Amino acid sequence: MKGCKTTMSDSVISVKQLYKIFLLGKEKVRALNGVSFDIEKGQFVAIVGTSGSGKSTLLNMLAGLEAPTKGTIRIAGENIEHYNERQLVKFRRNHVGFIFQSYNLMPTLDAVENVALPLTFRGMDKTIRERKALKALKLVGLQKYIKHRPTEMSGGQQQRVGIARALVLEPEIIFADEPTGNLDSVTTEEILKLMQDVVRKNKTTLVMVTHDNYLASFADRIIRIKDGKIINDEKREQFEKNE
Amino acid sequence: MKISDLLHMSMSSLFKRKLRTILTVLGVVIGIASIVIMVSLGLGLNQQQMNMIEQYGGLKTITVTEGSSSGGNGSGDSSSSTDLSKKLTDDTVNLIKSMDHAAIVSPVLDFDMIIRTGAYTYQGYGANGYTLEALEDMKWKFSEGELPKEGDPLKFIYGNLILQEFNDASGDAVYYSTGEVPDIDLMKDPLFVIFDTEAYMSTQNPQDESPFDAGTVDDGSGGTAEPKTPPKKYIIPTAGVLYGDGPEDYKDYSYGVYCDIEPLIAQLKKVYRGKAIPGQPTKKNGQPYKELYYSSIYVKADDVENVKDLQTQIQNLGYEASSNTEWIEQTKKTSEQQQAMLGGIGAVALLVAAIGIANTMMMSIYERTKEIGIMKVLGCDLGDIRSLFLIEAALIGMIGGVVGDLLSLSVSCIINSVTGEKTSLIPVWLYLIGLGFAVFVGVAAGFFPSKRAMELSPLSAIKNE
Repeated sequence: MKGCKTTMSDSVISVKQLYKIFLLGKEKVRALNGVSFDIEKGQFVAIVGTSGSGKSTLLNMLAGLEAPTKGTIRIAGENIEHYNERQLVKFRRNHVGFIFQSYNLMPTLDAVENVALPLTFRGMDKTIRERKALKALKLVGLQKYIKHRPTEMSGGQQQRVGIARALVLEPEIIFADEPTGNLDSVTTEEILKLMQDVVRKNKTTLVMVTHDNYLASFADRIIRIKDGKIINDEKREQFEKNE
Repeated sequence: MKISDLLHMSMSSLFKRKLRTILTVLGVVIGIASIVIMVSLGLGLNQQQMNMIEQYGGLKTITVTEGSSSGGNGSGDSSSSTDLSKKLTDDTVNLIKSMDHAAIVSPVLDFDMIIRTGAYTYQGYGANGYTLEALEDMKWKFSEGELPKEGDPLKFIYGNLILQEFNDASGDAVYYSTGEVPDIDLMKDPLFVIFDTEAYMSTQNPQDESPFDAGTVDDGSGGTAEPKTPPKKYIIPTAGVLYGDGPEDYKDYSYGVYCDIEPLIAQLKKVYRGKAIPGQPTKKNGQPYKELYYSSIYVKADDVENVKDLQTQIQNLGYEASSNTEWIEQTKKTSEQQQAMLGGIGAVALLVAAIGIANTMMMSIYERTKEIGIMKVLGCDLGDIRSLFLIEAALIGMIGGVVGDLLSLSVSCIINSVTGEKTSLIPVWLYLIGLGFAVFVGVAAGFFPSKRAMELSPLSAIKNE
């Protein structure tokens, strides 16, 4: 499931001059005001900003949930800025995994079924997808909870299911929106370490949005956003030196 | 997504909201059951009417009488009509036989006669001779005796209520004055039959002294023209008596007398040797024609559908042909109207059920906005989302249809056992239509909700609450 067309560089995400302008009455609100960056394959990137900075809008556009007003987004070799909804759904199904703040597990399904859900959407056979789901659950350390429903699990366990669900697709990119926002500090650390660990092992690109600098410090690279513009973009070596 | 996965997901979400699903299904059950029961009542009514028509002379029979070109054919006994082209002869019978869809064609000869037995007299009218084939096809039930056989001498078959028509010596009908039928055993008692009723009347009326004397029966030469001489009597054996359930059971044969036409003709020719048989046309000099002219022709079509066609063919030849088609068509029209009306009442119930389904689906979609959003974010195809909700709605319809059919079946059984007859009639196709309609209503009601689900924004899923 690697990018159909290989890009010239090694970047799996390439954003150029991205604008998103909302109209609030007659007033124009620039949520994103000309953002450009590239993300290499296998990188763990944190997008950091306060609320209202435009970081969530950026993530939504990268994931193909919102259309940009202007600019190009090239992900896994596909220019998605002009995709219609059908194409976007297909694009997500084939290339992208998601980790949500509020886990967003299906309450009626147990852990295995939840993890296997994206595979179900791909039309995969039940036996194959459950085998893959079990493998993913094992990877996040939940082999004992495979038959539990979301309501029977703690927040940390639920988020592990969420991570397993994102991993099971073996996607090129995983997007995470405040993945530990609802968790206590101990669990937060566990989860972040797990994510860090897993993406390194699988060489998956991970883009995480957060407002917390400490959480961002787990990433390989931090992009800081303020008022719709990138104000800082540094690699791990740099920001570790700064501290 | 695979069909099996879609089905599984739809079913589990229905199962999760059990009470709501049950209530929605209940609406469909009531809607379908009321339609099916209402239509079944209409069908039952229609069937009963058809049975009635069948009893009153059949659905497939056509009665052919001579063409009207000669005029004055109405009473059938106009003996002086000279236009013979549209009279009914063996040629006519053969002509009709050669037509498509004519299953049975039998000439019918009406004749008058008087029966005397003991102190009782029966003044017959409308005694008819048919071919054996036609008689067999009537599928009559006999309470005594059976049909005459090929080659038998003339034998009569009596309707089940014929004894009510026997008068006593004073000329009063015994049954209508006393309520009891005369004590006559039609099978065993000797029945003296007078064919020449005209001559009989002329000897009876002027002098009212009971002239009847069984001893005068003889097989001698034909009755003379001497008016005072009573006509000859013949003992005609009885082939059988038709079945009827009590004195109230009226059928179209109840007051009739029937016989095989072949021995009848032979008998009549013997009785009226050298004279015209009453009802037959005569030449100017009073002599009969060589050929025998029938009173009517009994035609049976091979199928109800072809009656009209066959009737038209015969009419085109210039003969009068009547059947129950108009009656049947009228009945059909009425019962169609009834069914439409009854079905309409049921349809209202189903419409309410459809609104119920749509409402349930909308509620379900609002509740599951987030779920639908997640599915979209995770890459669930838009068509699959629509299918999920359509299948859910169709399942509600289908379950409702099946249960509704079962309910109709039991209600129909109850109605029939209460009324004691087939008041409610549910053919298999009605069940299938009920079920199909239920699924259709489910899908139709689920169409807009499912479209709405498909168009929900995936963004709602990742809003953090």
